[in-house]
Amino acid sequence: MSLAGKSALVIGAGGLGGPAALTVAAGGVSRLVLVEDDVVETSNLSRQPLFTEGDVGARKAGAAAARLRALFPAVVFEPRDERFDADSAVELCRAADVVIDGSDNFATKFLANDAALHAKVPLVHGGVLRTTAQLFTVAPGGIGGCLRCLFEAPPPEGEVPSCAQAGILGPVAGFAGALMGAEALRLLAGERGAYEGRIFTWEARTARSRIVLVRRRHGCPGCARTQQPRGSPAVASEVVSSRPGSTT
Amino acid sequence: MIAAPGRVDVRAFACPLTWVKTRIALERLRPGERVEVLLRAGEPLASVPRTAEEEGHRVVSVEPLDGAGAGEDYRVVLERGGGEP
Amino acid sequence: MSLSEDLIARFARQLLVPGFGESAQERLLAARIRAVGADAVAGPGLLHLAQAGVGRIWVDDPEDVSPADMGGWLYGPSAVGSPRAEAARAVLEQTSRHLSVEPYPVGGVPTAAFICAPSVAQALAAAETARRARLPHVVVEVDADGGAVVTVPPGAPCYACGRSVSGSGRPPQPGFAALSALAAAELVLVIANPGSATGRRIDLTRGVATVRPTVRLAGCPCGVEGTASS
Repeated sequence: MSLAGKSALVIGAGGLGGPAALTVAAGGVSRLVLVEDDVVETSNLSRQPLFTEGDVGARKAGAAAARLRALFPAVVFEPRDERFDADSAVELCRAADVVIDGSDNFATKFLANDAALHAKVPLVHGGVLRTTAQLFTVAPGGIGGCLRCLFEAPPPEGEVPSCAQAGILGPVAGFAGALMGAEALRLLAGERGAYEGRIFTWEARTARSRIVLVRRRHGCPGCARTQQPRGSPAVASEVVSSRPGSTT
Repeated sequence: MIAAPGRVDVRAFACPLTWVKTRIALERLRPGERVEVLLRAGEPLASVPRTAEEEGHRVVSVEPLDGAGAGEDYRVVLERGGGEP
Repeated sequence: MSLSEDLIARFARQLLVPGFGESAQERLLAARIRAVGADAVAGPGLLHLAQAGVGRIWVDDPEDVSPADMGGWLYGPSAVGSPRAEAARAVLEQTSRHLSVEPYPVGGVPTAAFICAPSVAQALAAAETARRARLPHVVVEVDADGGAVVTVPPGAPCYACGRSVSGSGRPPQPGFAALSALAAAELVLVIANPGSATGRRIDLTRGVATVRPTVRLAGCPCGVEGTASS
């Protein structure tokens, strides 16, 4: 499996983005762009494998790139010490062959979803909370729906989450991030994603897993971006029309 | 006979440390024992008592700290619930 | 017996997880983990164990770092040729100042084992040693980008009962990192909550994990020497 010439975009260099970047770099991509605008804190060290004691206080993007370069000198790492926002999202996605979203907030997740669809690049979503991991792949033009098929809109702002919801068990985040990386490697190799059109959920304590299919929602504004006049309209409409009268 | 509750002052900390320290204090108690938590208005006040209840503990009282300006510091008394937190 | 301010700040996010409190974190800090194998496949798991807050990792691996080990997150090109135990110590101790790493054997008894051995025979031998000492242990069986993790709390069916007999054992592909992290998660959970763990085997195939309880094979010695778990 040669990934020469392939490029990956990783959003976030923390509990999910870190393991994902390490996995993808080890898989032999040519280039990895890392977008992260935060600073390394002590509490990060319980679960973010790109950072060590000496990095506390440093900008994450730079520290991550330094670590990755030392481990994988053959890969070109491009740290972007900035927020992933609407100005740069589509351009960043277009320059990549796969996008890995390791962000921790819904606004960024939705932005990544829309931008990747618009750029027609596959995107691996991941989330981890307490002891549960979730993975989902959006493949423009592929089977299944996108994040907006699943949620019509991000949860309203100002909904203060309970403090306890901020809990994460480190190795579970590592598991989720590494799975995201492995999925990205599959997609780069031209295979169908393992989480394409379906959400894989893993609860670490009970070791219970669940797979939920995500169908394309009729009228979804996210998916509509990929239904362009050029390309292979027959495939696109066939996928949509094979579910006549599909419910939201 | 209820002994005077121990006290935890988390006013200097931001979420989630406010809850982490409160939780640890609760864990060290036996069911029915109480702890007094001093915290700031805003996010800590909004989330700490609520989270304590979600995890099976009882909010005994919430009141402004004597001498503090309105809407600044609060004293919350929590009672450790039975079973695992 | 209480965590310092320092430790609370570092492990705040873990301490928020319901069911994983101060005593769980203290058990991790008191743990002395014998790490059997420190190659590429073990790397991600060892890194996560270090970050989760284990107090000691004793690296049981006499080999030197080879170029193939560089996919495991621990070793860069500059480490190639140096002993794995030393190279692992150099990296892992930097990730956590609450961790001390030594080459195994060391003058002490481990309290758990993370077994990621290069051969089935070595894995079986290490698992048997851990079982006889009643140490909780996990064993990693890699198979391309997946494989399996067998979790053996004290008294549970042993690794020989839980291992894959057919096992294809294809060479590791970079996705193995997930398997290694999963093994670390399993060991952390068993150490953090000793009473609640049961023996199980988790298979990871093409990104999807499935679990089944391990079952004692008839006649296996692990069933003869007393079964009561603590």
